[in-house]
Amino acid sequence: MSALSHPAPLRRLGAGALLALVAVPVLWTAFEALKTGSDANAWRALAHDPALPQAALLTLWTGLASTLLAWWGAAALLAQGFVRQRLARLLRGLPLMLATPHAALAIGLLFLLAPSGWLLRALSPWLTGFDSPPPWPTTQDPWGLGLIAALVIKEVPFLLWTAATQLQRDDVRQRWRAEHALAQTLGYAPRRAFWLVLWPQLATRLRWPLLAVLAYGLTVVDMALVIGPASPPTLAVLAWQWLQDADPATYAQGAAAGVLLALMVLACSAMWLGAERLQRKVVAHGHGVRGSPARTHGSDIGVWLLFGVYAAVLLALAAGSVSGVWAFPAVWPQSFTTAAWAQVAQSSGTVLTTLWLAVGSSGIALAWSLAWLELAPRRWNNALRPVLYLPLVLPAVLWVVGLYGVGLQLRLEGQASGLLIAHTLMALPYVLLSLSPAYLGFDPRYAQLNASLGHSSRAFLLRVKWPLLKRSIASAAAVGFAVSVAQYLPTLYLGAGRFASVTTEAVTLASGGQRSLTSAYAGLQLALPVLAFALAAWLGRPRRFTHTTA
Amino acid sequence: MPQHALNAHLSRRRLLLAAGAAAGASLQPVWAQASAGWAGVEQAARGQTVFWNAWAGSEQTNAYLQWVAQQVQASHGVKLQHVKITDTADVVKRVRAEKSAGRTAAEGTVDLVWINGENFAAMKREGLLFGPYAEALPNFKLVDVAGKPTTLNDFSVPTEGMESPWGMAQFTLFADSKRLPQPPQSMQALLALARAQPGRITHPRLPDFHGTTFIKQALVEFAPDAKALAQPVTDTAFATQTAALWPFLDALRPHLWRAGKQFPQNAAAVRQMMADGELLLAITFNPNEAANEIAAKRLPATVVSWQFEKGTIGNTHFVAIPYNARAKAGAQVVANFLLSPAAQARKADLNHWGDPTVLDVARLPATERALFQTGNLPGLVQKGAPTLPEPHASWVEPLEKEWARRYGV
Repeated sequence: MSALSHPAPLRRLGAGALLALVAVPVLWTAFEALKTGSDANAWRALAHDPALPQAALLTLWTGLASTLLAWWGAAALLAQGFVRQRLARLLRGLPLMLATPHAALAIGLLFLLAPSGWLLRALSPWLTGFDSPPPWPTTQDPWGLGLIAALVIKEVPFLLWTAATQLQRDDVRQRWRAEHALAQTLGYAPRRAFWLVLWPQLATRLRWPLLAVLAYGLTVVDMALVIGPASPPTLAVLAWQWLQDADPATYAQGAAAGVLLALMVLACSAMWLGAERLQRKVVAHGHGVRGSPARTHGSDIGVWLLFGVYAAVLLALAAGSVSGVWAFPAVWPQSFTTAAWAQVAQSSGTVLTTLWLAVGSSGIALAWSLAWLELAPRRWNNALRPVLYLPLVLPAVLWVVGLYGVGLQLRLEGQASGLLIAHTLMALPYVLLSLSPAYLGFDPRYAQLNASLGHSSRAFLLRVKWPLLKRSIASAAAVGFAVSVAQYLPTLYLGAGRFASVTTEAVTLASGGQRSLTSAYAGLQLALPVLAFALAAWLGRPRRFTHTTA
Repeated sequence: MPQHALNAHLSRRRLLLAAGAAAGASLQPVWAQASAGWAGVEQAARGQTVFWNAWAGSEQTNAYLQWVAQQVQASHGVKLQHVKITDTADVVKRVRAEKSAGRTAAEGTVDLVWINGENFAAMKREGLLFGPYAEALPNFKLVDVAGKPTTLNDFSVPTEGMESPWGMAQFTLFADSKRLPQPPQSMQALLALARAQPGRITHPRLPDFHGTTFIKQALVEFAPDAKALAQPVTDTAFATQTAALWPFLDALRPHLWRAGKQFPQNAAAVRQMMADGELLLAITFNPNEAANEIAAKRLPATVVSWQFEKGTIGNTHFVAIPYNARAKAGAQVVANFLLSPAAQARKADLNHWGDPTVLDVARLPATERALFQTGNLPGLVQKGAPTLPEPHASWVEPLEKEWARRYGV
């Protein structure tokens, strides 16, 4: 629609080239992964593994429960914010939460909830009578509750933010406000009107982000390693452990477990879509229940709780990173040391590697996404989403098996270029996902107006469309940056260990369990994307026109 | 194609140089020839970049490796790059993958690897290593091969010059004497302690290195015939030697942390829980670890270290060079530097790492011997116990499998 002046065949050609650029490596990687994971002996070994049934059940439970809770939590917060017209306030703290890497959040939460954690230290011994930490399984609990909590806390902000990218569009917001007001004139309470009129529209647009949350919850490795159940662990962790084994048969079994995980993701997604359709039918028959207006007076407790958890995690990481001796039940460290930060300061090369990878991959992904959304016919975009989102939906444990296979064949292992490609492929679906709603929803009348004024399409892009969308563009780039920073498995596999990023350092050190250094690196891992989001917010700030009165 | 040919040519030259060094050493009397060979290696090493894949879970280790990098850069013009890894099995897997992808000599991504035990056994068996080179290193003659026989026998697998010794390790326990005034002196005593204070003792989950070591220590204590453990494992030997081990572990399990249904991931996690007060004692393979941690102010000075009275198992860790290393000469220069008295003394120094040396300190000249002096710092092992040999490397896998079958889920 927008690039009116380009002849259609040329645009098709461009879109085709763009498509090949991404689809070839993605499909090749997926093929490599599936090939490695479809060894008959490996499947037999997998089927007979005693840990499999329980691990698979745990995976389903933690993945589905966390997705449902995150969905519900995000919806409730949105309803609250929309009805009370406090969305802007709700969204203010979002970038910080969004930028917090999963591993860093899990590490911080662990230190809040552990038997020797801050919560119990604060209550001991004056209230609990404990002189040493109680033998409670509050972390790595066998029911996966800690993992579910961590996932929900991490995914609610993501869903809120994707919803916000919809609501930030003025046309949508105005239309929805009008519809919401109209429903109220029909006698529906504000909250009920939100659920009946707006939520179904919003939910449809959040379908892909939600499936990403579901896939992530089912396949997460780093978080589950830190805070998830340990014996047995979830299937993703089990697969990861097998992939680390030096024995080729066990490695193949890990790849097979990755394929099984992918099948589980597919099945759960299908189930989710089915349930969604069913629910839409039910909602369509509204039964005319108006809801009681009294229930509109909610409080902001949900938002404050979310903010509180993130603040406590940050504080725990900060305190942990300078702690020396710190035995239970002391609330503050008994001795302090800056050794950990001194160590971090020495590894400036690590920060540089992380930065060039993140800037490079998010930049390429953004350029590609802009070109794709501009050139590809809408039909193509819809049809090809499943391919483009493959890296996001395929379990990371399976994806790296494929990446490594392709890397070996192309002799890209241990090369900077191979690493950049791997990071770009991982960042791309997220960038596309966050850019699409605002971009595709851009009012076509601007383009028509532009053409009617006789301006070129280039001028339109540079002077009208992109400036108007700069907020979405900047935050999509920040998302790509954050995704790249958080990559652990691809960096490890394709970098052949030669490229250390802040995340590989943090996870490597977390395996060493040393609180101060782990906290310091988790802090650094958190700081980089936070800075990126801050920069994006600054770049995307609304233009202010200064009026000078004569 | 021309690029490929060039690589092959270069690698052949490097191989010849390396082979020259090895051949020189085997012709012992012609020392001059050997050192000429070594001079050739040093010359070839200049300007090379050595990618050293080494476990990086500890601050001191990483800082020590950085120091080594500065030294070899200054003295030999070798650029040493620490490739930080969490598990050496990853490196074995990577080199194996490179071999099956058809990578030839000088096309690999690993030049030097910190290794021992079953990882070494696997790489040696599958022909993934370059060598023999170790005994041709000029500093190898300083190694205490008589007093520390594990420098030539890695978990009962003869090294045959395919890896060069780097440091010593012995199973050691440490605990805060305020919470545990009477340290247990055997696995049996440990069981009694666990019964008295349930939920306060554990070991890392196998196949973590320290977890496996804990089980091996118990095996050595309960095996009817310790000599059988030095031989490659057989089904019958496994059944007889482990017959008393499993009842012991069955008895211990319900009294472990979280009733033995869950195990921490690694020794550092155990140490952190001991520091927090959640556990009574922690285990390590570095006898100086507690002293290190006290010096770094992460453990209180009341922590003490000890080894069981009748002895604990010990071993040596090594560095090896993969068959397809690009910088074989540079890797040998680094391996040789690691054996120098200066490097070994710094490694043994509690202020830097505190890892026991492989050298025969008594035979060193007085000035170099002085480098190794340490005072009596808090946390050091007060009364050393005998080092018991590790079971043959082949015992590890069936031991881990059986443990996983019984307690893994």
